[in-house]
This record gives sequence, C-alpha cells and structure tokens, in this order.
Amino acid sequence: MICENCKQRPATVTVTHTRNGEHYAKHYCDVCSEEIGYAKTASEDTQPMSIAQIFSSWFGIPDWSTDTPESTIENQSDIQCANCHMTYQQFLQQGKFNCPHCYETFSQQLPQVFKRMHNGATKHIGKVPSGLQESYQLKKEIENLRQMMKIAIQDENFEEAASLRDKIYHLQAKLQQGGAEDDEL
Amino acid sequence: MNFEHFLKDDSAAWMSGDQQHGDIVMSTRIRLARNLDGHRFPRAFSEETAMAIDRQVSGVLLDAEQLAIHFSHFDLTTKSALQKQMLVEKHLISPQLAKKETVGSVLLADDESISIMINEEDHIRIQCLEAGLQLEKALAKANVIDDYIEASIDYAFDEKYGYITCCPTNVGTGLRASVMMHLPALTMTNQMRQLISMMPRLGLVVRGLYGEGTEAIGNYYQISNQVTLGKTEEEIIHDLTVIVEQIVLRETAARKAMLEHASIAVSDKLHRAMGTLQHARILTTEEAAVCLSNVRLGIDLGIINSIPNEVLNKCMLAMQQGFLQQYAGTTLKPNERDVYRATLIRDMILDGINHHNGEKGEDSYDV
Repeated sequence: MICENCKQRPATVTVTHTRNGEHYAKHYCDVCSEEIGYAKTASEDTQPMSIAQIFSSWFGIPDWSTDTPESTIENQSDIQCANCHMTYQQFLQQGKFNCPHCYETFSQQLPQVFKRMHNGATKHIGKVPSGLQESYQLKKEIENLRQMMKIAIQDENFEEAASLRDKIYHLQAKLQQGGAEDDEL
Repeated sequence: MNFEHFLKDDSAAWMSGDQQHGDIVMSTRIRLARNLDGHRFPRAFSEETAMAIDRQVSGVLLDAEQLAIHFSHFDLTTKSALQKQMLVEKHLISPQLAKKETVGSVLLADDESISIMINEEDHIRIQCLEAGLQLEKALAKANVIDDYIEASIDYAFDEKYGYITCCPTNVGTGLRASVMMHLPALTMTNQMRQLISMMPRLGLVVRGLYGEGTEAIGNYYQISNQVTLGKTEEEIIHDLTVIVEQIVLRETAARKAMLEHASIAVSDKLHRAMGTLQHARILTTEEAAVCLSNVRLGIDLGIINSIPNEVLNKCMLAMQQGFLQQYAGTTLKPNERDVYRATLIRDMILDGINHHNGEKGEDSYDV
C-alpha cells in the first residue's frame, strides 16, 4: 500500500479515526506520519534534546502547567545552590547542572533522578582519580566500620562497638592528615 | 602541526573499518567527560574562567614530555564556521563545540586519533577514535591522557557520584563508548526500528553518525552506552562489545538471507547505486549517502569489484557540506551543493575505477 499523503513511499503507519461512531483507517509512510504528528512518541525517543521535558514529567511538574500543587513547588524551589544560585526547579527545567556544587546542594533529590537515567544505579563504582584513591579507600573503610558498629550496638555487644569506634577515630585522624589535598567539592 | 594539516581529506581512521568484523564495524570512539573542581560549567561560567581553564588544561598537555603524544592547540573562536564544520565532519570536534561562538578550543594529536575538547558542555572532553572494534585500546589511550591531566589538575569528583558532569546523563564514569556500524541489510529488512527500541533496556542507545541529536544517514549507526553510573568502565565496554558482536551476527545473517532470497534484486539495487554515483547530475546528501552505502555493501558482498573501499571513504568525507565547499573554494547554496556534489563524486568514482583497473586515466568524457 502507498502512503495517502505523499503517494510515493510505502505506507507503514495506520491511523484509525473515529467520527460519529464510524472508524476510518488512514495509511501513511513513516516520513509523512511524523510530519503530520502521528508518530510523536517514536520521534521523541530518537531526540535526546527533549531531556528537559523528560525531566519535568518524571521528577516535577510539567513546565507548561501553571496550576500545580503548591506544596511541590515550595519543597523544590526552596533549595538553591550557594555557589551558582541554580534552584532545583531550574535544574528540572533545564536538565543540566551549573556547577559541581549543585550535586551537593541537591543531594537529597539526586538519587531518584539518577535512578531513572542509569537503570536504577545511584552510586559510582568505576574509576577513581589516583590522587583521591587513598582517602577514598579510608572513607570506605570508615563507612564499613560504622555499619559494623551499628550492628554491634543493636546486638548490645558494647565492647566490640567501643573497639570499632576507636578504630574509626584512628582512621579519621589519618584521613585528616593525609587528605589535605583531598578538597573535592 | 598547523591547522591546515587537520583539514585534509585523507580518509579518516574512523571510516576504514577492520578485517575482523567484515566491514560492518567501522570505528570505535571513547569519550571521557571531566570537569575542574571549583569552577562553574561552561553553560554558566564567565569568559575569564573559560580562558583560565583553557590555559590550564592545554598547558598540561602541550608540555607533556612523558606522554609521547604531540598535541596542537587551536582556539576555535578564531576559526571560520566552514573550518569548524570540516572538523565536525572528520569527527574531531562535536557539533555542539562548533556552534559555540565565544569559547571553545581543541587539542588535536598529530595522527588525529585523539582530540581533547575544552569548554564544550564540560570543561574537558577526551575523545579517542580507533578503526574497527577496539574499545579496550581506545579506553586505555583515553585513560593515559586522563591520568596525565589528573596528576596536575583537580577534577570535580564525588565519592558517591563519581566524576561530576554538567549533564546528569554522563555522571559517574563520564564515559561514552560508541561503535559506528554500517548496517544496510538490517535497515533494508526493517529490523533497525526494533533493534533501536530494544536498546534502552540494555542501557544502550542508537544514534546517528555525528552523535547526540543527529539522524542516521546512509545506514550508518552509532551504538553507545546510555548508562554511566553504577557500572565500571570495563563493564560498560564489555556490555557494549557483546551487543555489537550480536548485531554483527544479525547483519551478516541478514546479508546472507538477502542474497539467497533475492540475489538478482539485490544485485540490481547495488549496481543501480553505482550507476547513480557515476552518472547523476544532482545528488542530495541523503541520496549520495545511501548510494555510497549500497556500493560499499556491493563491495563487501563481492557483487561490485570495480572500485576499492577507500574511494568510497573519501567520497563520504568529501560529499559533506563543509568539505564540499572547501573543494569548491566558495560558499554554495543548497541546490548548487547538490550539483557540485554530483560532479565531485562522479569524478572521484571515475578516478577510482581507472586507478583500480591499473589504466592511466583516459580523458574524462563525462562533462
């Protein structure tokens, strides 16, 4: 079958209209159907530029909507990056950060944003700059010890908890000495 | 190296393909996004910051004695739109960087396999190109540069989120690994649409020839990872490789099936493409790209053997608007471009055939 619009290319899209209870089928090729606007979803998928729209529809309120629940607006626009003055609302609309500090500012909101984009992942497990590697290892260790300490306290194993706490103090002191150049963010 | 060196039409490495994957995988690209700590991203920074970052980054790499790679630095704000367009067409810079008017510069390695874009969307974008499917090699190269820069510059890095980037889709590894593939049989048999819609579930995405926001022309596609967070660099590359190899198998199967079921129809189509390139007087980019793709398929299938692949690579580069106008030596209106493109390709193909047959080119009677 040939496209009803351009009458050149083969028809690949069927559009069913309903008028007065009667169904009409129209056949278009993919080019015309996109032009006419029937293949909207398909064409948006291939355009990564619509990221701003994706953002607002996923995490906030549609940017065209004016009568949005006020509570959402308040919660989100309250947060503003101290360094570049970007608000969370602006971030949602633009889909990009303005400065590295924004990551800290929006740290509460970001996991849900990243989850959507990175198949559920919220944590980096790849390469670490070698300059940060040592302090990174220390911090990881401290985090592990803290978890163990929590468990020890829950189990009322206070002796072990105290010794874990001392270890944490020790590592923290080491981190502060060695991590002088570690001024990330 | 002077700037003109990088505007030559020698066929770029990314077009040459490799033996191992037939001519289905054309090239590999690795891109690492990095930012300097304590500075706003290019979308929000001042021109002074831009200059300071440019100086700092290029300073490190231009004096890199231990690196054994020689870079040349170019401030793109001083280059013409045409020159920038040509760099885009050679995949040395991104269209986004070319569009910037007040900031942006690039460091290019002499062999054009590495380019470091400064002040694009992120402060630093390290890009490595390799022919064929060579993700590991390209990543290793990019890592060498990355480590070298990192030794003297503080990156914006977060323990939880990894390398911090302007766009949240790049956060984590900042790695985009892409493989450029020539998939005419899958396209002709309408399997691409299904493939493209399947990709996001695998954390991958299919794009056009020039990356984000561009359309696939001439059956060339770029398959890249979408997910940059929660996976190591090695995992990202491994997952991509597995899928690319699957696609190669499917393309090969589709080619075989096409030949078995419609050998004469396929042969007709591919020879017609050759005929168009040899005789057309008006050629749009789209038509030229489709014909070049079909002739390439003809060569791969052994149906066309009057011309080598290198000539097609050269045509692919030359037919793009930047290079075309460079050849013409003047700016051309779109309709003039199509006429000039047809003439240029006709000459290049004729030349290629004559060379290929070992004959001395007879005078062109084709004017």
